[in-house]
Amino acid sequence: MPITEVLPDDAALRLARRTRLLDEMEATDVDLLIVGREGNARYVSGAPRLWTAGSRAFGPGCVLVRASGAVHLLSTWDEGIPDDIPHENLYGISFNAATFLKVLQGIEGAATARTVATDALTFSALRLLGKAFPAAQVVDGTDLLARARQVKTPEEIGAIRASVRLAESALGETVSALTPGITERQLTGVFMEAMAAEGVTTPSGQDVAWITSRDHPWRRATRDTAVAAGDLVAFEAGVLRGGYVGELGRTHAAAEDVGVHRDLLDRSEALLRALVVACQPGAPLSGLLDAYTAAGIPAPPVPVARGLGLGFDLPLVTHALPRTASARHIEVGMVFSLTAYVWDQGVGALYVQEPIAITATGPELLSTDAVHAARSH
Amino acid sequence: MSAGLMASVAPTHIPATPDLARMQRQRGERLRGLMGAQGLDALVLLGNTNVAYATGAVWPLADGGRTNFEQPVAVVLADDPTPHLFSPVREDDRLRAELPADHLHGPVYLDFDEGVEHFAAQLTGLIGASAVIALDEWTHALRRERSLLFAGDGPSDGGRIISAAKVLKTPDELSCMREGLRITEQAIAEVQALVAPGVRQTDLTATFLRTIFDAGADANILDPIWQVMPSNIADGPWTTTGDLACPLLSTERALVEGDVLWVDTGVSYGGFHSDFGRTWIVGREPSAQQRGQFERWQTIMAAVLDVTRAGATAADLTAAAIGAAGGVKPWMPHFYLGHGLGIDSAEMPYVGSDIGEAFDASLVLAPGMVLVLEPIVWDDGAAGYRSEEVLLVTDDGWEPMTDYPYDPF
Repeated sequence: MPITEVLPDDAALRLARRTRLLDEMEATDVDLLIVGREGNARYVSGAPRLWTAGSRAFGPGCVLVRASGAVHLLSTWDEGIPDDIPHENLYGISFNAATFLKVLQGIEGAATARTVATDALTFSALRLLGKAFPAAQVVDGTDLLARARQVKTPEEIGAIRASVRLAESALGETVSALTPGITERQLTGVFMEAMAAEGVTTPSGQDVAWITSRDHPWRRATRDTAVAAGDLVAFEAGVLRGGYVGELGRTHAAAEDVGVHRDLLDRSEALLRALVVACQPGAPLSGLLDAYTAAGIPAPPVPVARGLGLGFDLPLVTHALPRTASARHIEVGMVFSLTAYVWDQGVGALYVQEPIAITATGPELLSTDAVHAARSH
Repeated sequence: MSAGLMASVAPTHIPATPDLARMQRQRGERLRGLMGAQGLDALVLLGNTNVAYATGAVWPLADGGRTNFEQPVAVVLADDPTPHLFSPVREDDRLRAELPADHLHGPVYLDFDEGVEHFAAQLTGLIGASAVIALDEWTHALRRERSLLFAGDGPSDGGRIISAAKVLKTPDELSCMREGLRITEQAIAEVQALVAPGVRQTDLTATFLRTIFDAGADANILDPIWQVMPSNIADGPWTTTGDLACPLLSTERALVEGDVLWVDTGVSYGGFHSDFGRTWIVGREPSAQQRGQFERWQTIMAAVLDVTRAGATAADLTAAAIGAAGGVKPWMPHFYLGHGLGIDSAEMPYVGSDIGEAFDASLVLAPGMVLVLEPIVWDDGAAGYRSEEVLLVTDDGWEPMTDYPYDPF
């Protein structure tokens, strides 16, 4: 069914999310939660807004009031806005800090709020919040957001699964275009076109394909280098469908069967297996880092696991943050993608990103394709 | 069909190809000059476009959610012409830009206390513990651990330094921007050829996304807008202003003959954002009334261009627009008559925004500013016309940076 209207997120989905946040605000005694990051704003509001690429400095994009559960949202119009956010709670685009001050002062309980949590800050936002909430302390809201967000409801897992499916399908078209002579940039264009042709126009990343280096574990050349026969080309396919990220990574050989690199393939499969096995509920996230060590495979410079959710999410597991990984555990309901990366001098790399959901009985793979389809050729 | 803006005025201030090394050197000189005036030892930058500005690193921008956890970070030192870059993949040619290996560092994760600790240790190694530092934005982990990084009263607002540096474009920057705009126009031409009854908005997006990468863009920067305008404001969504709702998101809605499409999109190229806006009519020649709207739009644009030059104020531009539009403001109240363009899609100078008339009167245009002018004409009951033109402000006037025809008008 083509979607021909801008619609808010399903009521059950968005209300379950908001309830989680309100519970966390209650538990941490936060009166107002003010978020600027788009994924957080959508988590609170259930409203799709214009997608833009790249980071954005903090601004008061959406406000959740603990006492009433009311949502105030930055939107000049009501298209796509759920009916639980009335017109009087919408505030328009403005370039004037004084306008935002008036909006924030008008929120119920502004004058007496004691604790205002945000997801980031700027210098000007600190001045603004100080004036708008004179009795309040501005605190870190990222922990409460993470506690609410990183364990998904079954509906959320369904949404991510649908996004993964779309990413797989668009990736399939992209891999079909992998022939000697095509460039990384062109392959990205093929992926983006295939994604949009299926009705979804928002990617999670725009760095879709790269020729893995035969000489260096991570070196990347310019994006306009032509693919040569035998190159191992890594693909990272990610989309945001209904705001939820689905992504997966695969590696294909240009004009050749990956299966010829038997040893590399064996190590990639063993590493991925070890990573999946480490994903047991209750296990420390650092088990994912240990899986690399145990396999004798050098740590990649990119994260080994990234949370998937409404926009990117926690957990983030990387060799750069070992203490963080040791302190946190895998929980039922987490959804993240695992990165398995192995490289051979003179050959190139096999890059795999595998989205999984943690269920009570263990990890469940969310993709439907075979990770190394080339092997069965 | 009316030719693009360059048919009337040929650009002369914009070199055909940029010298990227010189561009980066001049940015560094500008930044260090501003830092020196404030007695700063270092400038720490987190914002994607700020990092790109300071380092010259170019990478395809991702969804903001991912960016928040895996962002490149730049450190500009007062006494070092070369900036430092902390990035996820330091062996990436696109990120390496012109930076030597000892100025390239591994990733830092400033949303995490542990990440801030690692970064603080590296920063102290670069500048010592008592350095005076400015920062563009805070994560909460940075704020919590600020005593590790910042001596005394803590950092000052580094975002202002970038804002001050970026507003006047150098010739090499203009050349880069012109190429980004050219890429956008090349892709748009493919899209416009597709427009017909039955085609979905997302089909236009699919072609746009494919062709921008084929034409050399680094990334798409906003979900492209192909908005079907209602005849009456009241037929569109409710708005906080009582005025038009725009830009609205694209869906799989199929175009119908006679639809009035307002197009708005942009790409990123070489660290710059482009901007594009036109009005198209689906499957039909414009009516006499629609041609009349376009002619009024041209009159407004001509009146604004006539007063656009270094030394003019933003208020001079808004007054010219209002005069040509018969006394009404010919722009949407939630936006502006015009805005700056550069490393960000909308940046200073804002012309006619809700910052207010006093601000417009105080804002003096200077040579090297790039303006996107986007007046509209609206006849309730018969929709309206909107296009954007990008231009460079010069000493004696302006110079076009866009050259797309106004077809089908």
